[in-house]
Amino acid sequence: MAPSEVSRGRTLLASVRLAVLQFLADPQWLVPSMIAPVVFGLVAYELFRGSGANFALYAVLGAGMMSMWGQTLYGSGWATGQDRELGTLEPTLSAPTPYLWVVMGRVVWNTVSGLIGGAIVYVVVVASYGRPLSVPNPVGFVLMFVFVIVTLAAVGIVFAAWYVYTRYAGFVQNVGEFAFYVGTGCMFPVILLPFWTNPVSLAFPPTLAVDALRYVSIPGYQGLSWGFWGDVAGALATTAVYLAVAGTVFHRVEKHVLETGNLSEW
Amino acid sequence: MSNGIAIETRGVHRSFSSRKGFLFNEVVATEALRGVDLQVPAGEIFGLLGPNGAGKTTLTKILATLLLPTSGQALVLGHNVATEALALRPKIGLVLGGERGLYNRISARENLRYFADLYGLPLARRTGRIDEVLARVGLSDAADRRVEEFSRGMKQKLHIARGILHEPRVLFLDEPTIGLDPKSARETRKLIRGLVAEGVTIFLTTHYMFEAEELCRQIAVLSKGRIVARDTVAGLRRLVGGDRTMELEAYGFEDAEIGRIKGMPGVSRLVAEEFGPRLRLTLRLRTNELLPDELLRQLPGHPELTIRERRTSLEDIYLDLVEEEAN
Ligand SMILES: Nc1ncnc2c1ncn2[C@@H]1O[C@H](COP(=O)(O)OP(=O)(O)O)[C@@H](O)[C@H]1O
Ligand SMILES: [Mg+2]
Repeated sequence: MAPSEVSRGRTLLASVRLAVLQFLADPQWLVPSMIAPVVFGLVAYELFRGSGANFALYAVLGAGMMSMWGQTLYGSGWATGQDRELGTLEPTLSAPTPYLWVVMGRVVWNTVSGLIGGAIVYVVVVASYGRPLSVPNPVGFVLMFVFVIVTLAAVGIVFAAWYVYTRYAGFVQNVGEFAFYVGTGCMFPVILLPFWTNPVSLAFPPTLAVDALRYVSIPGYQGLSWGFWGDVAGALATTAVYLAVAGTVFHRVEKHVLETGNLSEW
Repeated sequence: MSNGIAIETRGVHRSFSSRKGFLFNEVVATEALRGVDLQVPAGEIFGLLGPNGAGKTTLTKILATLLLPTSGQALVLGHNVATEALALRPKIGLVLGGERGLYNRISARENLRYFADLYGLPLARRTGRIDEVLARVGLSDAADRRVEEFSRGMKQKLHIARGILHEPRVLFLDEPTIGLDPKSARETRKLIRGLVAEGVTIFLTTHYMFEAEELCRQIAVLSKGRIVARDTVAGLRRLVGGDRTMELEAYGFEDAEIGRIKGMPGVSRLVAEEFGPRLRLTLRLRTNELLPDELLRQLPGHPELTIRERRTSLEDIYLDLVEEEAN
């Protein structure tokens, strides 16, 4: 009954399904995915209140990014770390489908749940504000919001490879998390950071995508000097690079773990 | 690879390097396999027997494409495990067993469905096949319960169900009964016998001689990364030939006494073990001449001495083999 060709799309769907089932099976997920956005939204609203005409927008962007980035960027890597811990990494890797497609499925799920988090933030802030937000370019806003998520997901895939590579990935990530969060300008615009951090920040597509999102949604925003389209072009280019290397990185990592034999370590 | 051979290895070596210490990272190399040559005939249960740390899991993982050999070659169903892993994987199943390796929060059925998709099981057959394997391992009633509620034995059955889901032609079972209660272990062995009746080749590792003896036609004994014996169960028995085993028990023996017994003609092996206050000497004798009376004469002053002759078991041979290698 062994098939000659195993469908990658089917692996991806199976992986999404597994992620959803595990999410539903474990109530602890409600905290980061559903409650955190509410808290972020409320805190951001209070924080930005009185800081200019567009403060509600700032709150949505800040809190929205905060609730999304973790989910989307690290969710997939975290799930791989979980595979290591459960001991499911070995059976999964011994299946005839490349592990990359399992990760892709998780990325899809994390993207969707990241978007839900963003939507919750939006609702919370609007409810606190008491009237609808005036977004100058709603279509552009939504498009760029999704775009940011896609760039986060692209980096997330490469991060997941790191989790296959070593059991220390979680530790390294926890240390790097904060730096990354600041570096990509999720919390405040990168332009406020010291100059030397820029080349590092710009290597991450979400940096540019977040800046583009601010350009679209905040009237009079002054971000990176090359402006909105420069941001979009840069983010697209860097995202493409990440996606292109993801396949190679996974292939290498899978080979590496078969050489070192550290798959069952956790 | 000749016909009828499912697995063949030539000079398989595998070493691991692990790091010790924190600041002064000392790299320690472990040679888990030191040149393994094996041929496993198709359609039967082959037993790889060895104590803890012998290299059984390492060899199993290499054959199942989860680990690369450091050197040497391994072919499974004619595929080189190092270079043709993707082509080989759909044709083999791996059961590493243990408590880990399952998604605990979801049901047994969902676990199987996930892996059915990863193995590309035909969609039309998916549900039917999952029901089939669940029934096969006796988990039909528990199919929709979360795996975290399962006992050790049930988890082991689910591991096996996953291993056979895609109807592999070769199934690797790494210590499938370890940690199981006697009843579950018996059920598992029965299941394994049933599989081979259907034509599946089974590569089984164990550190119980009786298990290998019960299930396998051919056995290889692995010790410290080397195959120290390879034969059919009947052949291993012949290896013992007319050997006799005698057990002497007393409240302690002098070193000089032990030396004297060791030096008696026909004594090929002597193992001393403590049993509470008593010391037991197990002797392997290659002669019929040596009689208990002669032994008694060598050991005056042990009124409480008991001498017992018993059939040499495969377990005895196994321990002999493994210990010879260690010395
Ligand atoms: N990933 C690893 N890193 C370092 N040493 C290992 C690793 N896996 C196994 N070993 C070592 O290789 C030897 C054989 O181990 P293993 O194959 O697990 O033996 P068995 O399954 O027969 O008990 C042991 O000494 C073990 O410590
Ligand atoms: Mg083992």
